Amino acid sequence: MLRRQSRKRDINVKQGTLRIGLAILAALALAVGLAACGSSNNKNSGTSSSAAGASTSASSTPAGQPGTGKPAVTLGDKNFTEQFILGQLYRQALEAKGYAVRLKDNIGSTEIADKALRSGQIDLYPEYIGIFNTAVAGDTKAYGTVQQAYAAGRAYAERHGFTLLPLTPFTDVDALAVKPAYAQKNNLTSVADLAKIRGLRLGAPPEFRKRETGLVGLARVYGIRDVSFSPLTIGLQYQALDSGKIDTADVFTTDGQLQGGRYTVLRDPKNVFGFQNVTPVVSSRVLTAEGPEFQATIDAVSQKLTTEAMQRMNAAVAIDKQSPAAVARSYLQANGLL
Amino acid sequence: MNDFVDGIKFIGDNSGLLWHLTIKHLELTGAAVGIALLIALPIGIWLGHLHRGSFVAISISNVGRALPTLALISFGVAILGIGFLNSMIALVILAVPPVLTNAYVAVEGVDRDAVEAAEGMGMTPLEVLLRVELPLALPLIFAGIRIAVVFVIATATIASVAGGTGLGDIIVDQATYRLPGVIGASICVAVLALLAQLLFALLQRAITPRGLRVQKVRPGRPESAAAVPVITN
Amino acid sequence: MSGVLLAPLAAAPVIPDFGRGSTCIRDNKLFCWDWVQSNWGGTLRPALIQHIELTLIAVVVGFAISFVLALAAYRWSRLEPPVGIVAGILYTIPSLALFQLLVPVTGLSRTSAEIALVSYTILILFSNILEGLRNVPADVRDAAEGMGLTRWQTLWRVELPMALPTIVAGLRIAVVTVVSLATVAVFIVNEGLGAPIYAGLQNAFKTELIAAGALTVALALFADGALVLLQRVLTPWARTARS
Repeated sequence: MLRRQSRKRDINVKQGTLRIGLAILAALALAVGLAACGSSNNKNSGTSSSAAGASTSASSTPAGQPGTGKPAVTLGDKNFTEQFILGQLYRQALEAKGYAVRLKDNIGSTEIADKALRSGQIDLYPEYIGIFNTAVAGDTKAYGTVQQAYAAGRAYAERHGFTLLPLTPFTDVDALAVKPAYAQKNNLTSVADLAKIRGLRLGAPPEFRKRETGLVGLARVYGIRDVSFSPLTIGLQYQALDSGKIDTADVFTTDGQLQGGRYTVLRDPKNVFGFQNVTPVVSSRVLTAEGPEFQATIDAVSQKLTTEAMQRMNAAVAIDKQSPAAVARSYLQANGLL
Repeated sequence: MNDFVDGIKFIGDNSGLLWHLTIKHLELTGAAVGIALLIALPIGIWLGHLHRGSFVAISISNVGRALPTLALISFGVAILGIGFLNSMIALVILAVPPVLTNAYVAVEGVDRDAVEAAEGMGMTPLEVLLRVELPLALPLIFAGIRIAVVFVIATATIASVAGGTGLGDIIVDQATYRLPGVIGASICVAVLALLAQLLFALLQRAITPRGLRVQKVRPGRPESAAAVPVITN
Repeated sequence: MSGVLLAPLAAAPVIPDFGRGSTCIRDNKLFCWDWVQSNWGGTLRPALIQHIELTLIAVVVGFAISFVLALAAYRWSRLEPPVGIVAGILYTIPSLALFQLLVPVTGLSRTSAEIALVSYTILILFSNILEGLRNVPADVRDAAEGMGLTRWQTLWRVELPMALPTIVAGLRIAVVTVVSLATVAVFIVNEGLGAPIYAGLQNAFKTELIAAGALTVALALFADGALVLLQRVLTPWARTARS
C-alpha cells in the first residue's frame, strides 16, 4: 500500500485526485444539508413523519377551510394496529379540513404516550377510557356504566389540562383468549375458571403485569395468582398461543385475528377489563387554540367507529396487510368524511 | 439530568431484579458466543493455515456487519417463534463473522519466515499450526472473541423484543419501569459491555507473548489490515 | 364543552370493501412479492429514503468530527489516548441503551438517533484517519519538506492523499455499521427501515421483515461497493502500483 513515491509528478497527481475527492465530499455534504433542511421543513409544514403515510400536504388544501392558518398539531398513536388506524383516521379527516397535522406513529404504550402528552411532544392521542382511568389517573374503582367511567376520567383530565373528547361507539376491551382445545380440556368459559390452573402461562404486553386491567386486577378480583408471565410485543400473542409457548394470551376484542373461531375468548363476568371505548385525549390549550371546528371534525370520525367497523379495519390491516393509511382513507371516503 | 439521578436510584432500589436479569443476559451471551466459537474458530484457523479462502473469510465480516440485528431477531420470531432459542440463533449468526475473520487474518498473517523455519526443522503441518502459528496468532484471535462478546452483549438487549432474555427486558418495557427504569437498565448494560471489553483486553494482554507486546499487532498484508480495522479496536 | 358522553350515532356507518390480501399474504407465507409491489411506494421506499438520510447525516458529521480530532492527535500525539478511550467507550455502549440514554437530553427525536449513530462512527474513523497518516513513510514526508512545502501543504498534498486508502477503508466500515444500527433507532423515532421491520415484528409478518431486512443489507452492501469505487477513482496510483 505504501510505496515509496516521492517524485514530484506523483504528488501532483495525488493532489489533483484529492481535489476531486474533496469536491465530491463537499457535494455530498451539501446534498445531506439540503435533505436535512428539507425534512425539517416537512415537519414544520405539518406532513407526517410516518413511513406508512401517503401524505396530503397541508399547503395543498384550498384556502377557506376551517383549519387553514391554525397552528400545526402533533397527533400521536400507540403501539398496535388499531392505534395506527385511529391515528390515520383522525389525521386524514383533520387534514381534509385544512388542519396541519404531524403524526407520530407507534410511540409506545399508554404510559409513554401520556408522558409525551404532558411534556408537549404530542398534542393529542386516542386512548381507551378504562386504561385512561387506571393507568393515567390511577383510579382503580370499578364503574357500573361507561358514562360513569367517562365522567370520572373527564374530571381528572380537566384538573390536569387535558380534555377527553366524546367516546367512540366501539369498545375494545382486553380479554384472555385460549386455544379452543385448551378451553375444552380444562373446561374454561370464563376468566374465573383460570384460577384453578396451576402455573398458568400467560402472555401479554409488558405493561399488563402492573395494570389494574391486567395481572393486578386478575389477582384481586378472580384470585388468579399462580401465573408465569411472558412479556410479549403486542401482536405476538397469537403466535405464542399457536406455538404452545403460553396457555392464554391477553388480546383485544376488536383484533382481526379473533374472527374465524381459531381462538376462544373467555368471558369477564366481574368486568376487570372495564369499559374501553376510545376517547381522543387532547391538550386543553391546543383544543382552544384550534377552535370548535377542530373538535367537530374529530367527533364526526369518532361517532362513525362502531365495533364491527373497527374489527373489519383491524382485520384489513392485520390479516390482509393493507396499510393503515389506505384503510383509513377508504373508510373516511365511504362515510363522507374526506 | 433528574432522569439520570432517578435511573441511578432505580439501580439501587432494584438490585435484585437487575442482578437476575444480568445473569440471564450473560447466560444468553455465553451460549451464543460459545456456539459461535465452536463454528468459527476451526474454520477460520484452518483457512488461515491453508492461506485459502481469503475472500470469503474477509467478506463474511463485512456482510456480518451489514446484517441488521433487529431484522435478524424479528425474522427469527416469524420462523422460530419467541424465546431463548430464536434469540440465541440470531446472536450466533452475528458472533461468527468477527471470530472467523480474525482467526483467519491472525493465522494467515503469521510471519512466513517463522513458518518456513519451523518446516525446515522438520515439523509436520499440524505441528507448525499448533506450535508456531497458533501461539503467534493468539492475540489477534482473542481480539476477535472480545469483539464478538461485546457485540453479543449489546445485541442481546435487542433480543428482548422477542421474549424475556435479559437487561433489555426493562429497556423495552418503559410502561412498567418508567423512564428511570429504562435509564437505569441502560446504564447497567453499558457498564456490562465496558467491563467485558476491559476484562477481555486484560486477558488478551496476558496471553500476548512478551516479544509481541510492544509493537501494535498488525496482520501481514496492509490491505487486509485496512479492510478489517475492527480487529484492533 | 359538549354535554354528550357517547358520540351519538346518527346512522350506521358504511363499511367499504378494504380489499382482501392474496392467499400468500393471508397465510403469512415466507415471501409475497405482491405485498412488496403494493407497499413499495407507501412504506418501503419512504423508509429507505429516511434510512439513507439518517446514515448520510451520521457519517458526514462523524467524519467531520473524527477528521478534526485525528489531525489534532496527529499533530499532538498526547491527544490520542484520551480521544481513543472516549471514542472506545461510546463505541462499546449498546445501541439500544445509548438511544435511551439520550432521550432525557434530546427527547424522542431524530437528533437523539443521530447523536448515537455519530458516536459509533468516531472510533472507526478517528483510528483509521490517524493510522493512515502515521503510515506515511518518513522519507516521503522529508522529501516533501525538502521540496519546500510547508507543514500544511505537506498534509494536504502528500500525507492525506497517501492516507486515503486507509481512510476510505474506515469510511466503509462506518457506513455499513451505521446502516445496520440505524434500524435500532426505531425504538425512539419511527423512521428508517427499522419502522417496517418493527411493524413486521408486531404482526410476525414475514414478507415485511424479509423485505425491509433485505433492503437494509442491500443498502449497506451498495454503500460499501460505492466507496470501493470511490477509492479506485481517488487513488489511481494504488492500482498502477499493484499491477
